Amino acid sequence: MTTAPAPATTRKVRLRGERSPLSSAALHLTLIVASVIAVFPVLWVLLTSLKPAAYATTTDFFKETTFENYTNLIQNTKFLTWFGNSLLIAGLTTLLGVIVSASTGYAVSRFRFPGKRGLMWTLLVTQMFPVAVLIVPIYNIMAGMGLLNQPAGLVITYLTISVPFCAWMMKGFFDTIPREIDESGQVDGLTPFGTFWRLILPLAKPGLAVTAFYSFITAWGEVAYASAFMVGEDNLTLAGGLQLFVNQYGAQWGPMTAASVLIAIPAALVFLFAQRHLVTGMSAGAVKG
Amino acid sequence: MRRGITATALVAALALAATACGSDSESEGTSKGSGELSGTVTWWDTSTAGSEDKVFKKIAEDFTKQHPKVKVKYVNVPFGDAQNKFKNAAQSGSDAPDVIRSEVAWTPEFADLGYLAPLDGTAALKDSDDFLKQAAASTKYKDKTYAVPQVIDSMGIFYNKKIFKEAGVEVPKTVDELKTVSKKIKDKTGKTGMYLRGDDAYWFLSFLYGEGGDMVDASSKTVTIDNAAGVKAMKVVKDLVDSGAAQTDATDGWENMQASFKDGKVAMMINGPWAVSDTYSGKEFKDKANLGVAPVPAGSAAQGAPQGGHNLAVYAGSKNLDASYAFVEYMTSADTQAKVTKELSLLPTRTSAYAKQDVVDNEIVGFFKPVVETAVERPWIPETGSLFAPLVTEYTKVLTGQAAPDKAVKTTGDSYRKLLKGWK
Amino acid sequence: MAVHTSQSVAKAAGDDVARGRSRGTGNPPPPGRIRRALSTHWYAWAMVAPVVVVIGVIIGYPLVRGIYLSMTDANERNVARSIGVNHLPATYKFVGLDNYTEALTGDQFLGTLGWTLVWTVSCVAITFCLGMALANILNRRIAGRSVYRMALILPWAIPGFVSVFAWRFLYNEKRGLLNEILSGAGIDGIPWLNDPTWAKFSVIAVNVWLGVPFMMVALLGGLQSIPNEHYEAAEMDGATAWQRFRHITLPGLRPVSTTVILLSTIWTFNMFPVIFLLTRGGPGEATQILVTQAYKFSFEISPRDFAQSSTWGVLILVLLLIFAAVYRRVLRTQGDDW
Repeated sequence: MTTAPAPATTRKVRLRGERSPLSSAALHLTLIVASVIAVFPVLWVLLTSLKPAAYATTTDFFKETTFENYTNLIQNTKFLTWFGNSLLIAGLTTLLGVIVSASTGYAVSRFRFPGKRGLMWTLLVTQMFPVAVLIVPIYNIMAGMGLLNQPAGLVITYLTISVPFCAWMMKGFFDTIPREIDESGQVDGLTPFGTFWRLILPLAKPGLAVTAFYSFITAWGEVAYASAFMVGEDNLTLAGGLQLFVNQYGAQWGPMTAASVLIAIPAALVFLFAQRHLVTGMSAGAVKG
Repeated sequence: MRRGITATALVAALALAATACGSDSESEGTSKGSGELSGTVTWWDTSTAGSEDKVFKKIAEDFTKQHPKVKVKYVNVPFGDAQNKFKNAAQSGSDAPDVIRSEVAWTPEFADLGYLAPLDGTAALKDSDDFLKQAAASTKYKDKTYAVPQVIDSMGIFYNKKIFKEAGVEVPKTVDELKTVSKKIKDKTGKTGMYLRGDDAYWFLSFLYGEGGDMVDASSKTVTIDNAAGVKAMKVVKDLVDSGAAQTDATDGWENMQASFKDGKVAMMINGPWAVSDTYSGKEFKDKANLGVAPVPAGSAAQGAPQGGHNLAVYAGSKNLDASYAFVEYMTSADTQAKVTKELSLLPTRTSAYAKQDVVDNEIVGFFKPVVETAVERPWIPETGSLFAPLVTEYTKVLTGQAAPDKAVKTTGDSYRKLLKGWK
Repeated sequence: MAVHTSQSVAKAAGDDVARGRSRGTGNPPPPGRIRRALSTHWYAWAMVAPVVVVIGVIIGYPLVRGIYLSMTDANERNVARSIGVNHLPATYKFVGLDNYTEALTGDQFLGTLGWTLVWTVSCVAITFCLGMALANILNRRIAGRSVYRMALILPWAIPGFVSVFAWRFLYNEKRGLLNEILSGAGIDGIPWLNDPTWAKFSVIAVNVWLGVPFMMVALLGGLQSIPNEHYEAAEMDGATAWQRFRHITLPGLRPVSTTVILLSTIWTFNMFPVIFLLTRGGPGEATQILVTQAYKFSFEISPRDFAQSSTWGVLILVLLLIFAAVYRRVLRTQGDDW
């Protein structure tokens, strides 16, 4: 295994994990540049939020650092209400999204049943149709069911966005779990549901983590439906609430930037929780897509 | 938060069956035909959040003092979203407000779509002869009145007196003067002369009127945007930007305009009374006297700025029409208007309000009143509000060099003719 | 955990091929067997029922209605609505395929489609290349790998509207940081969002910024599922780094790549928020893609043009379906079971 070619070979072959200091430096440099580009816009918002609102549009990195934007945001706006609304909506979307995608993914992965191919295609086609065109019809359906201005309306709508992708991914993920496990469950007298619930789900944690992450991010960051369906300061989600700060007639950069930072925190936390599984979960799902 | 918890329970209980009957029970209050008013009136206000909204909220909620059994639910909807949100809500028939603050150009459109309740003969229209004739015009559609004028406005040129003094220039009266003044300001102070909004065609209108043009002529049912005056006006704005007399942006125009004017980076902007409160918050205008307002510069043929403003209208599907009518009357009464003027420098729509001391004393009103009287009225047809979308696209294209002026107005004219069936 | 899963990935890959071949389930059951079908399949159906119901109601009905509306002249002023006591019946009429003829022969649709294709291809290509490069670097043993990985995934973890807003802040021509930096270097400010060509560049840059983490993570997962033995064998044979990449890494990533390219093409084609929040399709119509234009028809102009909006929506769907079908066929002829 560790038999590296002897230095005597005429052609120098570089092995994986073995490289000159120069190429090491180049790799680090690339990664540092890429990381700076990735992080900088977010960091800039953070820095801006710490400047007094009057200097928000200046380009100094630090200027009279203060937390006044944050205190202002929390005391004088309904930020906490919006935050709560978003948390509730994103939380429910995540919970239901995970359950629904997992059960669908499992069914499609394990059972052969009439309508399966159609369902797979539907899940793909659903992602193709531009939802922006659907806002008015969906609005009317929600109005008909009395779900406007209700968190439930947005939760259901977000499920239609996140579940098709997640179910597809979960199917791929379940495909990687050996079928022998199912069979052993059946031998032990478990129902298909029991097998799914007690044996397979615990093995599918990375996939579930990615699904949860994806659902949460979808619901947390969605703008178009949120601003169409919800009205009134008490009902807004964060996406809608922030529109109040930067609307056509006046932008309040102070609270806007502070809010952006606070909004990014839960998303980052969910991400931290999921990131351990992200790579394995994504690949297993995507490989088999 | 209580709302949130009920909703959670709702979702949990119903999962996806979705047979919820979550209609807003609050707005189902009834008012007796002749007796005391009661119930809830939901009002969608579109005033600027952060400054104007606080004043309007307070005044609106004070309605309860007159009618103790009526509850006013104040909702601030951003101006940019309000037209769409109201349309969504109105056509679906649920969760629409009882009263909406409708921009003048929206009013005939909402009325045409059947969303508004006719107000003739209701409590909403009191002393209707008292309203400025110009303000009342936009509330009428097909011989019925669908709204009550709340505020009226027009546009003028806002200028920074300090920069003008430093450069030794006077307020420009014509577009040609605007160019020389801008050049002088640039030479003497290094600052840009004017900010011209490039992402909203409303800011183009005074230049269009200045060349003797208009978007359409309703009396002869003719599209006029693509005549010679329209081409000329496009050339004028393009020249202002190309010559460096004005700077512009294709996005974030409002924000950039306010910021550069408030910070003293540009000396002039065209704007209306609704911008006054925000402008005073800038560091250049801590001394309010530094802000000067003058009529918009004339073009080669005429001088004029568009007349705008807001009306209050009642949703036809409101469950509480009587209280809504009374609320609209209260919000547009001379007393209320004077209070608003005192706080926000917005222009009243009632002649009698102009006699009140608070209004007489207000400098901004003193300036804008004559401007409003000579402001150019748009035709109050349902399509008036629809005329901007095609125009702004082409206007921005001209300013960013993507379309020639004559081609731009022609494209605009073509879409107008598609919109206005049978017009010349 | 990671080791366990990556092994199972490889194992199951073969597993699926076997099942793939046997997937043809034969003829649908004869009518008399419906009850038996129900008793065999009820648990499968029960498990997919929630998805079917939600998608059917929330997407299916509007979709069918959209297809219908695209063959009418429906707009805001002639659809049925009932407001309080006013009941207004629908007065729009059936116009057949007129809307489609108009869209496909007019400049607007084809012009927008042209830019949408440029947008999609460049976004996907650049995102994929960058994602591939970063994934390969991160897959090596390198100091601080997890820190880099966290930093690089950050754009994905931040809600889109926040980061797009941050970019608008940076792009501002007169007061933005990017131009400030350029002027520090003695370069004139660039009209990032005010010039049509620069605006196109800017929206693509932001979308790439947003899309790289997804690509990177997916490809990284793919890389980790390539068994180490393949590389070791190649090293013994004296293959160079490039040869190893060309002959082991690329084929090994093929299943992941095909899926993420398909998905990200679909997503980018319909990427509404980036364009809408950054430029609203401007300046003029320079950055308007099909989906933002369709949104504009149904939402921003008045009277809202439901017919035209639906027509564009259906055309978008058809284009993507054709793409997916062709893509799939090409993969099949190359021997992939997908």
